[in-house]
Amino acid sequence: MIPIAHFVAVTFYLAAAAVAALPFARRVKAPVGGVVIMLLLGIGAHATALAGLTRQAGAASLTGLGPGLSFAGLVLVISLVVVESLAREVSLTLVAAPVAALVTVAGNLAGMHPFLEPQGVRAVWLTMHIVLSFIGIAAYATAAAAGTMYLVARRELKSARFGAIFRFFPPLDTLDRVNHLASIAGFLGLTLGLALAAGYSFEYRALVLPQIIWGMGAWVGVSALVLGRVLRGWQARRAALMSAVTFASVVALYVVFRMASLNRGQFL
Amino acid sequence: MALIVAGVSHTTAPIEVREKLTFRPQDAVRELALLRAKGLIREGVVLSTCNRTEIYAVEESNDTLPDISSLLSNRLGDDVAGFMYVHRDREATAHLFGVAAGLDSMILGEAQIQGQVKAAWEQCRAESGPILNRMFQISLLAASRARVETGIGRGAASVSSAAVQLAKKIFGGLGGRRAMILGAGDVAELALECLLKEGVSVAIVANRTHERAQNLAERHGATAMHYEECWESLHDVDVLICSTASPSPVVTVARIRASIAARGDRPLCILDIALPRDVEASVGDIGNVFLYDLDDLRAAAAANLEQRGEDVPAAREIIAVEVQKYWDWVAGLAAVPVVREFREEMDRLRSTELAAALKRLGPLSPEQAEAIEHFSRSLMNKFLHEPSVRLKAAAANGRGLGVVDAARYLFALENKPGTDPQKGDSTDIA
Repeated sequence: MIPIAHFVAVTFYLAAAAVAALPFARRVKAPVGGVVIMLLLGIGAHATALAGLTRQAGAASLTGLGPGLSFAGLVLVISLVVVESLAREVSLTLVAAPVAALVTVAGNLAGMHPFLEPQGVRAVWLTMHIVLSFIGIAAYATAAAAGTMYLVARRELKSARFGAIFRFFPPLDTLDRVNHLASIAGFLGLTLGLALAAGYSFEYRALVLPQIIWGMGAWVGVSALVLGRVLRGWQARRAALMSAVTFASVVALYVVFRMASLNRGQFL
Repeated sequence: MALIVAGVSHTTAPIEVREKLTFRPQDAVRELALLRAKGLIREGVVLSTCNRTEIYAVEESNDTLPDISSLLSNRLGDDVAGFMYVHRDREATAHLFGVAAGLDSMILGEAQIQGQVKAAWEQCRAESGPILNRMFQISLLAASRARVETGIGRGAASVSSAAVQLAKKIFGGLGGRRAMILGAGDVAELALECLLKEGVSVAIVANRTHERAQNLAERHGATAMHYEECWESLHDVDVLICSTASPSPVVTVARIRASIAARGDRPLCILDIALPRDVEASVGDIGNVFLYDLDDLRAAAAANLEQRGEDVPAAREIIAVEVQKYWDWVAGLAAVPVVREFREEMDRLRSTELAAALKRLGPLSPEQAEAIEHFSRSLMNKFLHEPSVRLKAAAANGRGLGVVDAARYLFALENKPGTDPQKGDSTDIA
């Protein structure tokens, strides 16, 4: 049931991206309602898959590479739905929904094998850390997606090309604001997630160095973005570039750590 | 009775002809009243804009066209035949619906024409009637549907609206943004009006002749500035529109670079609508500067027009559906009373003849009388079925209002109450 529900979720995410891409094929406006409904159906299937995993494991299972990636995909799509419903603008789906689908597929390929989780207060503490960290990463990914779209749209506008991107991408200012808000949400989520992780590590003597380095790396990236905006007045192209580059670095760092700890199981 | 439209438009006549054929509202009403008084038309509406003059009419007789033609020729002072087009019935309806949707406009899909069609109809209401009222009403609905359901009205199609569209693509809404206009001529004024309409909060007008800048600023509630001082304010500006008559560029890389440091990362949109250009081309290479000249604006407008063109078939489909609905209504309005009266008349004749026949036959059993009654009714229904169906179909296909008139004449129904949609039980539905 878990792989089938995941498959259904991925199908809905990709279908939502396809509907959001309609303007490029048929020169019509993407139907906001249709895209959001498809994403919601995907979220429903995805949540069913994770609920099945929880039932199978006997406790909320967010640890382990497969469950972790799947949960990250779910959180990314939830934050996407929130942003797009508020903005009545679905072009972010073009980037974020395929990313969520890819992450979910990768999680399933890695195997949905949760680590053994602690019980009681320790379990709540760990779950809170994981949820907040994933929210932070998902928001950071949203900021990076908005930043990437900003860079693409800016290039089209600078070179006076008036094709589909010009017509159907949101204004640069909107993408800049999404990038700003998402990076703040990413900063808050990762800061709280890391604070809980630090407390947990100290209290239970549970230190996993690669995880700490990667988590700190992600936090430094999103903090640099937020501080650059707040203290240095970064916005527009510079902020977009920073969010895309730092997030890509965080993903690259993840891949490096993951490959280095393939047989030791010491990383996410 | 037939529906007719005769007129000239930008596709058939040059501006010198069109301007002579323009009707002021009071002239239009007067001319229509004259045509009605002569018994040539039952209803009429004149649509007169800078791109077209068209007379829509419901003909009283079949010789209306020469009179309409001579009316236009008199106005032109020459024979109008070479410029004039004529459509009848269904084609006339499809033409009006296409006009209202902007499909026949000089700028495809422009929205202004819909308002002009409505205004023309309202101005001529005294000379209009149920047939035209309904047609103009549906034309406005069809135009709205075509605009909403297809992309024929989407995107900016003129240089000034393309300029606003480009600025919006950078800043989202322009409400609260600051704009500076270099130059105080007509083009600058048009640009200023466009920006103020979009909610730009601070507009600065700078010109070499300060008095002209001051006059323009006063007219629109903007701020005038001396040309030499305006560069100091550039760091606060989001949109810069250049429209001076300077023979060489006045906005240089050095001037923009000087203001960039104080701007931070905020984008600056420069719209150079001057010819020769006011802005050095290399200004566009500066980081957050978005520079567009007239060619770029025309390209943006052309791209939108091209997109609109692709949606024309979809708009035409909507119009075809609405034309059919209209003619279905006409069929009901024109043919149904005639068919009803025709059948009643035939039934009266049948009853009279049946009574006479029964009298001549002498005493019959009730079953025999019933059989003869049934035979007469059945025979009449069989005779009348095909003409009734064909009459309704003729009226509905847009070419049969004449057939309906003919039927009324042939069966002497002209003076029967309820068979004339103009004089009978039809009401002004608009």
